Amino acid sequence: MAQRDWLGLKQELPANRRLVLTVLSFLTPLILWTAVSYVPWLWHPLVHITAPGDVDYFVEDMEVPKADFAKELAKVQAAGGELPQGERVNPVYLPAPHKVARAFYTAFTTEPRLPNEPWLHESLSHSIRTICWGFLISSIFGLPLGILCGTYRFFSRLQEPFIEFFRYLPAPAFGALCVAILGIDDGPKIAIIFIGTFFQQVLVISNTVRKVDPALIEAAQTLGAKGWKLMRRVVIPASISDIYTDMRILLGWAWTYLIVAEVVGTMSGITYFINQQARYRNFDNVYAAIFMIGIIGFTSDLFLAWIGRIIFPWKRRSGSPSKLGAWFAKLLPKKPAPAVPVEA
Amino acid sequence: MTALAPHSLDYRQQAPEVAARFERIKQRPVILSVKDLKKTFGQNGSTRTVFDGVSLDIHRREFITVIGPSGCGKSTFIRIIAGLDECNGGVALLDGKNIGEPGPDRGMVFQGYTLFPWLTVKRNVMFGIEMRGKGKFVAEAEARQWLEMVGLSKFEDAYPHELSGGMKQRVAIARALANEPRILIMDEPFGALDAQTRAQMQSYLLQIWRKVDITILFITHDLEEAAYVSDRILVMGTNPGRVVEFIENPIPRPRSPAQFVSPEYLALKMRLEELIHPPVEVEEDKLPVVKMTSAGDDVE
Ligand SMILES: Nc1ncnc2c1ncn2[C@@H]1O[C@H](COP(=O)(O)OP(=O)(O)O)[C@@H](O)[C@H]1O
Ligand SMILES: [Mg+2]
Repeated sequence: MAQRDWLGLKQELPANRRLVLTVLSFLTPLILWTAVSYVPWLWHPLVHITAPGDVDYFVEDMEVPKADFAKELAKVQAAGGELPQGERVNPVYLPAPHKVARAFYTAFTTEPRLPNEPWLHESLSHSIRTICWGFLISSIFGLPLGILCGTYRFFSRLQEPFIEFFRYLPAPAFGALCVAILGIDDGPKIAIIFIGTFFQQVLVISNTVRKVDPALIEAAQTLGAKGWKLMRRVVIPASISDIYTDMRILLGWAWTYLIVAEVVGTMSGITYFINQQARYRNFDNVYAAIFMIGIIGFTSDLFLAWIGRIIFPWKRRSGSPSKLGAWFAKLLPKKPAPAVPVEA
Repeated sequence: MTALAPHSLDYRQQAPEVAARFERIKQRPVILSVKDLKKTFGQNGSTRTVFDGVSLDIHRREFITVIGPSGCGKSTFIRIIAGLDECNGGVALLDGKNIGEPGPDRGMVFQGYTLFPWLTVKRNVMFGIEMRGKGKFVAEAEARQWLEMVGLSKFEDAYPHELSGGMKQRVAIARALANEPRILIMDEPFGALDAQTRAQMQSYLLQIWRKVDITILFITHDLEEAAYVSDRILVMGTNPGRVVEFIENPIPRPRSPAQFVSPEYLALKMRLEELIHPPVEVEEDKLPVVKMTSAGDDVE
């Protein structure tokens, strides 16, 4: 196993190598970021003035581009005055990793500046609520409609051409309309997530259902299944685990609509928080909040994937036979069964 | 009767006891009766006839194999019997009644297993029983019996993907039989299995057929398989698909691999061989000669 190539074409890698690569995929951008942040000669395009010296417009704590600083330094040197001092820094919008890491904690403990401003945890839960409502309402309609369209040509013909057209209309374009109809609170935001999710959902799910192996449906028919029973006992179970995967992906898409949705009407949720923090130039908090969205989305997806493996045990196949399969293989009779006398 | 080529053994001159056996079979009631069945594909304008004039009567507890080259319409034929396709002419009667929609009276076993991957082995077998309106407990008890019959009791809680091909096909057989069909229709059921497993499955099937009162229509393109398991062999030809010959298999039952060297078996096989792979006329001079190696002409 371990002798196999790291770059085997379409070959599954051993588990330990997969883990190494997964860790590396996160580590690489982190290392780049760390390097740019802490190695002084990497990028650092600004100079943070610690002592203005004889340059008239320099003041302490000011940040000037590297080239300007060099020019002024040369001038003062030529004139023989007091030299300005400073250290190279990155722009304020690229805080160092440790600052962002600290912000993960401090962002929650910083009191809002304005009296009616929400805390970070309130902003986050507001966003999650918006997503959940939008996705739930979309699924209540999209899931059955998708399954119907995938099963019956009738519904597919009746619905899909319009939906196919509608999904090209960008959801944010409906912002003003949603506000006019649903007011400025959460209504229009949920509506935007609904519009962004629903049409994709119907198409994706109907496509998944259409891909159910027709041989399974025929087999069920020859076993006496028809009509609603065929749908409930075969079509739905045959596609349910793929539908579940679709739903996970769709939920991911819903997250991408969140920021757009939250600027509709009164800005709210995590978008409001990010906006305010950017205004206060607390970019460490901005990054922390953005990463939190990523972490919430990513971990909830991992969680759902884990749930999926539990509720769909028949999908638990790996490249190598499962432990259970290997165990069963041992029970297999080794010898062909003896021929039993047959009489015509 | 057509005159037989001199070199083929006269397999039609059945020994009296064999002739008597087939006489007895013909006394039994007809389960499936097919007359002049015809199937075309395509709309008017460019239709293609898959087969035409296929007729056969299958008697109770008979084991019929249908053999023929790939593309002669074997699968299409049984899909019509199963009710999955419609014919364009002729009639097919099951117990004297026109066959209609697919139903549990015709049990199907396909080459691709078609087990429900989301159900355990036991649940797969229970599927049809439940579809017929029986309760869960009854269905479970019956499913267990059928699994015991195919020797898979230990695997009742396994999922299909945990089984080998041969085991999957045994589950598929149990699932079809659990509906107590009038006829079991199998489309190249062992075609995807390796030779050893296939031989084993053939013996299994004969064993099951002996224990259960079931009529079998078995499609294959393997003529040894056809000779080993069948009572009668329907040989189909292609372009268009048609019945070439209906052969009564003289090999006595019970069958065993020991008979593979018996004269009846060899004669039957030779005849099937002739029907399915007619000798190709090759004009040797016209074949292009390509020298692949430097071995020279002395290589035989
Ligand atoms: N749905 C279809 N439309 C058009 N032609 C078909 C269809 N299904 C099968 N055929 C044709 O019918 C012929 C017989 O196919 P099939 O019954 O699968 O043969 P066999 O099982 O003997 O190999 C093939 O030539 C195939 O191309
Ligand atoms: Mg076929």
